[in-house]
Amino acid sequence: MRFAEANNNSAGSGVEIIDSVRTIIAESLKIPVERLTPETRLDELGAESLDVIEIVFGLEEKFDISVPFKADQGTRVTVPGNGGPEEIEFSTVGDVANIVQKLIAAKHRAP
Amino acid sequence: MHRVVITGIGIVSPIGSTNAAFWSALVEGRSGIGPITNIATDRINTPIAAEIRDFNPLQHFDPKRVGLLDRFSQFAVVAARAAVKDAQLELTEELALTAATIVGNGGGGLTTLDESYLKLYGQGATRSHPLAIPRYMPNAACSQVSMHLGLKGPTFTTVSACASGTHAIGQAFHMVRSGQAPIALTGGTEACLVLGTFKGWEALRVLSTDTCRPFSKNRTGLVLGEGAAMFVLERRDQAVARGAPIYAELLGFGMSADAHDLTAIDPDGAARAIRGALTDGKVNADEVDYVNAHGTGTVLNDKGETVALRIAFGDSADQLAVSSSKAVLGHSLGAAGALELAATALALHHQTIPPTANFEEPDPDCDLDYVPNTARNAPIEKAMSSSFAFGGLNAVLALGRA
Repeated sequence: MRFAEANNNSAGSGVEIIDSVRTIIAESLKIPVERLTPETRLDELGAESLDVIEIVFGLEEKFDISVPFKADQGTRVTVPGNGGPEEIEFSTVGDVANIVQKLIAAKHRAP
Repeated sequence: MHRVVITGIGIVSPIGSTNAAFWSALVEGRSGIGPITNIATDRINTPIAAEIRDFNPLQHFDPKRVGLLDRFSQFAVVAARAAVKDAQLELTEELALTAATIVGNGGGGLTTLDESYLKLYGQGATRSHPLAIPRYMPNAACSQVSMHLGLKGPTFTTVSACASGTHAIGQAFHMVRSGQAPIALTGGTEACLVLGTFKGWEALRVLSTDTCRPFSKNRTGLVLGEGAAMFVLERRDQAVARGAPIYAELLGFGMSADAHDLTAIDPDGAARAIRGALTDGKVNADEVDYVNAHGTGTVLNDKGETVALRIAFGDSADQLAVSSSKAVLGHSLGAAGALELAATALALHHQTIPPTANFEEPDPDCDLDYVPNTARNAPIEKAMSSSFAFGGLNAVLALGRA
């Protein structure tokens, strides 16, 4: 929370994003948000395929982004990075936040 | 216990609405999948489907009465009329009084629902169309078949998502077999290609954006479709006595529930339905030559179904020919099982196994004979058609050569 306040002028800062991501995941999986650190793996929390797409939906709604997640192509997501597209595993809370951050950055870059 | 045969098949499909057109496209692997043309696609991220592009309701219905029928009911009635004609069946009053009419559909009048909600929520309308409910209701297709053909026996709708059509046909089969009805009009119908359906399936992240490639490693997901298939089922002795054409004999019907995952196939549950159909039909696993698979073209289905077939068939799985018609027909949800039973019955009739079209790359996790891309002339004595639905509801039919 301390970090979030320190960054409250930069919309979509890393800390704000990870806090929102933790909240969305916690609400989807009906678990206390305190259990979620950036290293926590979604599968450790018992997230099944439908939980994951519900989380993806929550992220898209919250951040007004489109996450190119396909249930059929494993859990790897291709996102735009500084040096071209990169693949990130939709695995830990931190990975999810990283994906969201890159998609938000790409949205702001877009004309 | 009576022997039960299929004497009439009626089809409305993306690859043609005569039995001959349907069969030739299936055998040649000519897909009905293409860009969506029937609705606006500006809000659809996966703008392909197996649509019926040439269906004109006014060719089939009185202009004054066509407004009573949603598209899914129109498909069902047109297919039912074609099935009766195909069976060369005269529906006498005596027969009509006891004939069963059982139709499966996953949704209901989804076109009507979509249009009504657009007006109410999207455009702020203050009233709904007076026919919205009778057009939408999920039993509307079944009721319209009953009314248009004058069928007055046991009549109801089965709803089990992608297994709806197969559950309907299986139920009708058992009713004719037990003597509960002398004859049945049965099948499945679906007209689901509206914005609400596409957005809902897109959100599940299983729709392909190019095409459907069942059992092929480079698959990209499933493609939605629409259509209907209806059948005349009758007692074999009656059919033979009246000199009716016989496509195939229905031998067994198996059902199960996974009681497991809402959307993922459970191989054990699917295998229990397959075994159930074999047991019900007194068919040995090693007698089956061909399985028309559920084969949606998603990784979860294709791998899970392969495991299910291995569990159900054991060593004889390696002798099976397995193909999916969804590369050609798309996935028409509640109609899929019925259209695929038509494919299976026609395969027995023509003694030809339709291929799995769009098969480009073998998948080590799918290690059966999927009859890739080219139809096969082979003796087929026994065949099966499988449907495994969301919600874990499974239905499988076993058939024999006429």
